[in-house]
Amino acid sequence: MPRPALSLPLALLVLGACQRDEPGQRAPLSRSAASAGAARLVPPGSQDTGFAGTTSAVHRPRPGVPPRILRAVDAKVNPGYDRVTFEFTGDSLPGYHVEYTSGPVRRCGSGDPVVVAGAGRLVVRLVPAQAHDERGNAMFTERDRTLSLPAVKDMKLVCDFEGQVEWVLGVAAPGPYRVSELAGPARLVLDVRHGR
Amino acid sequence: MRGGGHEFEPGLAGNPGGPARGQPSNEERRARLTPGRRPGVEARAALLWVALVAACRQALVEPCPAARLAADRAPLVASTSRFDSAFAAAGAEFHVPPTVLKGIGWVETRWQMVEGAEEFSGRPPAFGVMALRGGALERGAALAGVTVATARRDPVANIRAAAALLDAYAGEAAIDRSRSEQWSGVIVRYSEIELPEGRAAYGRAVDRAPTFAGARSAPAGAAAARAACPPPPDSGGAPDYASAIWRASPNFNQRPADSTGAMHIVIIHTCESNYTSCWSWLVNPASQASAHYVVNEDGSEASQLVLERDRAWHIAALYDCTLNRRHDCWLNGVQSNHFTVGVEHAGFASQDSFPASQIEASAALVCDITRDRGIPRDWQHIVAHGQLQPADRTDPGPHWPWIAYVHRVQALCGEVVVDDSATFNDPALASAAASGAWTASDSTPDYYGGGYRWASTRPDATDGAVFAFQLAAGSSRTLDARWTSGANRSSRAAYAVITAAGDTLAVVRQDQTTGGGRWHTLGTWTFPAGWNRVALLRRDVSGSVVVADAVRVRE
Repeated sequence: MPRPALSLPLALLVLGACQRDEPGQRAPLSRSAASAGAARLVPPGSQDTGFAGTTSAVHRPRPGVPPRILRAVDAKVNPGYDRVTFEFTGDSLPGYHVEYTSGPVRRCGSGDPVVVAGAGRLVVRLVPAQAHDERGNAMFTERDRTLSLPAVKDMKLVCDFEGQVEWVLGVAAPGPYRVSELAGPARLVLDVRHGR
Repeated sequence: MRGGGHEFEPGLAGNPGGPARGQPSNEERRARLTPGRRPGVEARAALLWVALVAACRQALVEPCPAARLAADRAPLVASTSRFDSAFAAAGAEFHVPPTVLKGIGWVETRWQMVEGAEEFSGRPPAFGVMALRGGALERGAALAGVTVATARRDPVANIRAAAALLDAYAGEAAIDRSRSEQWSGVIVRYSEIELPEGRAAYGRAVDRAPTFAGARSAPAGAAAARAACPPPPDSGGAPDYASAIWRASPNFNQRPADSTGAMHIVIIHTCESNYTSCWSWLVNPASQASAHYVVNEDGSEASQLVLERDRAWHIAALYDCTLNRRHDCWLNGVQSNHFTVGVEHAGFASQDSFPASQIEASAALVCDITRDRGIPRDWQHIVAHGQLQPADRTDPGPHWPWIAYVHRVQALCGEVVVDDSATFNDPALASAAASGAWTASDSTPDYYGGGYRWASTRPDATDGAVFAFQLAAGSSRTLDARWTSGANRSSRAAYAVITAAGDTLAVVRQDQTTGGGRWHTLGTWTFPAGWNRVALLRRDVSGSVVVADAVRVRE
């Protein structure tokens, strides 16, 4: 029975691709095919562009879990907001802390100050996490990215040291954002609303 | 435990930071390192090598970290390889110094033709003497006018492809090819290949290889000479700590030349990973982080990644003295990497305990650092990363055995400290006692431990503060006292030195109005086995206070 054996993984791949790329999903921790399918049904152009979001800190600690490996970061513009997706190996997310900062941002090893574009600096701290493998190789090469999206202008990896990964996003203005968690693969999704 | 395997000289391994280090003559080095040198090909290299040796010889006050380091570098520029003619020809063809090609070839493959395998997804295999891979291989082959298949398998084509690639990089960077230091950036670009040890080697090649160091600048004194001398990657015998393995990280810069760059604090970290993952990431330039040392899980191996004299990148925080017992508040706002030495430990801040063997190895290392650098072995100078950076760090965590650890550092350096508080004493070796007339305080900074005790002088007082120390056998010891100073202190505080047999050997007076936070030598005496002691007396005319902080007993 080769055909079913092949088609199931294919279907999962397609589903996974939809899950990954579909903008504007609202379902946190959408682990089931049903929730992924529901998200897939949202037609383009009718996205949730008016989400309230927050400008306050979002804090979700997960102490005591093994470090998660950040393997990819993606940023895209969507109707009404920019979406930054942090994708991890495996099925679990690390803890995270997201917050606009008014203080200087420094590289966690050298202490060198880091400058980003825009009027807002949105820090995304992932703990415990690393963006390199066990052999000391970076999981991706683009660690300073110029995005020039409507809200998110650039993003820089300022820390990948001692189990802490930290990005700082240069945001046009410190507007509302929301954070959601997705599974299969584990992703942390950050939506930053476009300015009015 | 030794990582490298090339030309390590056991006889030179001892005490790398000390002045009495063994060093072979330059004649010995040259004799050993220049077999069959070909003047035509190697003339430039030979000149550079002579310049390096001269630079090292100039460093009379501070010699090369170890002579073997220079010796170990030598194959880069002085040994022959079967590809020398190919390096020379390709160098001439593409206007790339043959020493650059030869150095990269040595770092990459030790001058072996390799055919790499894909080690993990996404990383193309490496080929040939120059370890060309992926897009670099394709581009170099195209530039050299050979097929990729030929560039993989034919050594001459492989070296020509690498030379052509370096030629292109040099052209794009518009460097002055006659200036060897300008090749550093080109070589760094070549190092984009994902090979951690290779990257580290490149970092070293860029900064320190004799191929470049001799010509980079006219050596300006001992510092420049020393910078030219460290060993190659993965060799045993790290420059500042012989029992560590030297795995050079490119992630460092110079400490400031002013007082903010004087190293005087050791910071204890945990990697939040295993040992190999830890050091291999910290030698990768992408990490933008490093430490001077990494100690493995069971203490059987340590790596040095950055010279102690250089500024490693292990702590983001600006210094805040309120986090460190208000010690050295003049450093407030200074970036903490400037003046600290970072020691990483394989493991996690969250772990319940640390292996005794790891603690022992770390203590031996920190004893060595503090001894060589004149750093006091106390609570202001051996501190946690999480202590100085509480906003987002906790390492090495709540279960790092601080008291026992600092005691072990002290013991390995031949000293025992008796604090006024039992909390900071090893009860087997040290004990303190004071009457209720002695008031505990921490209001004046730079005390040992958690604070100090003070008492007013009185003409009829008989209750001195007693610091007792246990000796297993009769022996000579030097005693030092420490206090916190102030205008109200006694200018003639009396320390009575009393043996276990009850004999008073001396009464030594010290001026406590000045000199707080430092050790002041009382003297050296021979003590019997048992509990000997020092009593700080408060019997004197009224009107001042005496401060009992700590007594240090050293061999």
